[in-house]
Amino acid sequence: MHPNEPAVIAAPGPAVEIDHISKRYGRTLALDDVSFDVARGDVFALLGPNGAGKTTLLHILCTILRPDTGTARIGGVDVMTNPLGARKSLGVVFQEPSLDDRLTVAENLEFHGLVYGVPRAVRRARITQMLALVELEKWRDALVRTLSSGMKRRLEIARALVHDSRILFLDEPTAGLDAQSRERMWQYLRNARGERELTVIVTTHYIEEVENCDRVCVIDGGRILADDAPAALKTRHGHELLRVVPRDETTAAEIMSAYADIATRHGEEIVLRVAGDAFTETFLTRYGTRIRRLSVEEPSLESVFLSLTGRALRDQAAGARERTYEFGKRGGEHTR
Amino acid sequence: MTAQAFQPEPGSTLPLANWAGGLYAIWLREVKRAIRDRGQLIGGVVRPLLYVLIMGIGLNPYFRGEIYGEVRFVVPYTYVQFLFPAVITLNIMYTSVQSAVSVIWDREFGFLREVLVSPMPRAAILLGKILGGTTVALFHGALVLALARFADLSMTLADLAWGLCLMFLIAFALTSLGVVIANRIRSFEGFGVFSNVVILPLYFLSSSIFPLDPSLTSAQTRVIYPEWLVTLIELNPLTYAIDALRGAFIHFNQFDPRLGPVVLVAMAAVFFLIALRDFRRV
Repeated sequence: MHPNEPAVIAAPGPAVEIDHISKRYGRTLALDDVSFDVARGDVFALLGPNGAGKTTLLHILCTILRPDTGTARIGGVDVMTNPLGARKSLGVVFQEPSLDDRLTVAENLEFHGLVYGVPRAVRRARITQMLALVELEKWRDALVRTLSSGMKRRLEIARALVHDSRILFLDEPTAGLDAQSRERMWQYLRNARGERELTVIVTTHYIEEVENCDRVCVIDGGRILADDAPAALKTRHGHELLRVVPRDETTAAEIMSAYADIATRHGEEIVLRVAGDAFTETFLTRYGTRIRRLSVEEPSLESVFLSLTGRALRDQAAGARERTYEFGKRGGEHTR
Repeated sequence: MTAQAFQPEPGSTLPLANWAGGLYAIWLREVKRAIRDRGQLIGGVVRPLLYVLIMGIGLNPYFRGEIYGEVRFVVPYTYVQFLFPAVITLNIMYTSVQSAVSVIWDREFGFLREVLVSPMPRAAILLGKILGGTTVALFHGALVLALARFADLSMTLADLAWGLCLMFLIAFALTSLGVVIANRIRSFEGFGVFSNVVILPLYFLSSSIFPLDPSLTSAQTRVIYPEWLVTLIELNPLTYAIDALRGAFIHFNQFDPRLGPVVLVAMAAVFFLIALRDFRRV
């Protein structure tokens, strides 16, 4: 489990319950009978390539899209029958920025606080506190259009925490950011989790980012392929590798013949696919003294994803929406 | 640190006071954006100057109730006076439609989502948006009133109050109409299209810059003017809106004076309800 897990988790029941959700767009099945729970206080990652159904699922959970079948509950509140109730405990950071860039940083947060019905005193305190959390205090009165994209993303995280959100949805929060900003983004999220009981659900296609999550749900083609802790996923679907350089040729030949089905040889190095917990131990008692060098390679989530979906994660060309957005940015339409 | 908990009951709806706060926030955003949009403000100032000072004063001497030197009826107003309420309406119309069109930008640039995932009911979101647009449009309409001296307009405080009420209704109805149109638009080519396809046709077909001869009966009017033109003008609800405003500011009505306010209230209600129906489906 996560090291800075909040000590007391009082309220019972999972933060999010998804039950047999399906959604179809025309002839495409965007979500195919998806079910899973997210425990309170977890950082939960939805991992999948573009078009896997991550965003569709997120939109259903934040009540702006209705599923064809199935139910979803946020903190015990049904998103279909009581969307207004469900929204109060939600904080959402969408894939595309949703700030008003003609308003200042503080005005955007104030707007959010008012719309979520946060009482005045709490609103004031939270705005200051959240700006500090994402290190934007100095830009408090700057127009949002003057901020960099990384700063805008940080502001959106701050905004999603201005009201009493218990569940934070982030749709590709680090897409388009440089490595440093991505690392800081996660730092802010960790800080936020220290500040209140917060369940974080994040979609991403950056595989290295999900290592620190409590649970990873691999989704592709609208179906859930796996849902487990990263370590468990690696154990089940990934492979640990043993790289061995034997002392002499006889040992090498011996190893090659003993593990014919799981060993491959690259020059003087032999790579063994580890099968089972006792494997390394058994191997070492037999050949330990006759080995010059040995290294263990941990299984990566990349290999998990590859073995689950049969392909690597990758980016795709910009969709119609991105193009419209780009047009708007260039266009300088004066109503904007 | 932040255990300043205001713990909402899970699933409970927002109290009315908070609901009003959100309405205020949406209204305030519209107003702030309008204040910061210099282009819109320049349009709002220049347009009435052109219409009242150049077109109005320029055409003023040619506007008399006579044909070939023979006086047929006494016109109780000058052309500038006649035009003045229409210019107010035009200014309101531009601003209303422009703020309504920002719905499209909110949708395309994602800000709409921020509001849609909030616990505000759709009706309150829409009302806030439309009231914001209405306020800005009313302000732009009131800008024209600064030119009242040039139009030789004298009005009592009661006239002014009644006129402002009518202007509010016009602004509300036109902003709602703008939202209805914006909701139906999937690909957006810019505000110029709206100006040419919606605003100007409605404006020119509302008996705004020329009167239908008040001394003639409806049948006689159709003889003098082409029938299609008269029909279009009579079908255009804006005709009655401007007529109501003329009643307030120059005490002259081309139609039954009760008709204007009724049409205006109906326009405001119908367009708002259509906008609301569309918005619930977003």
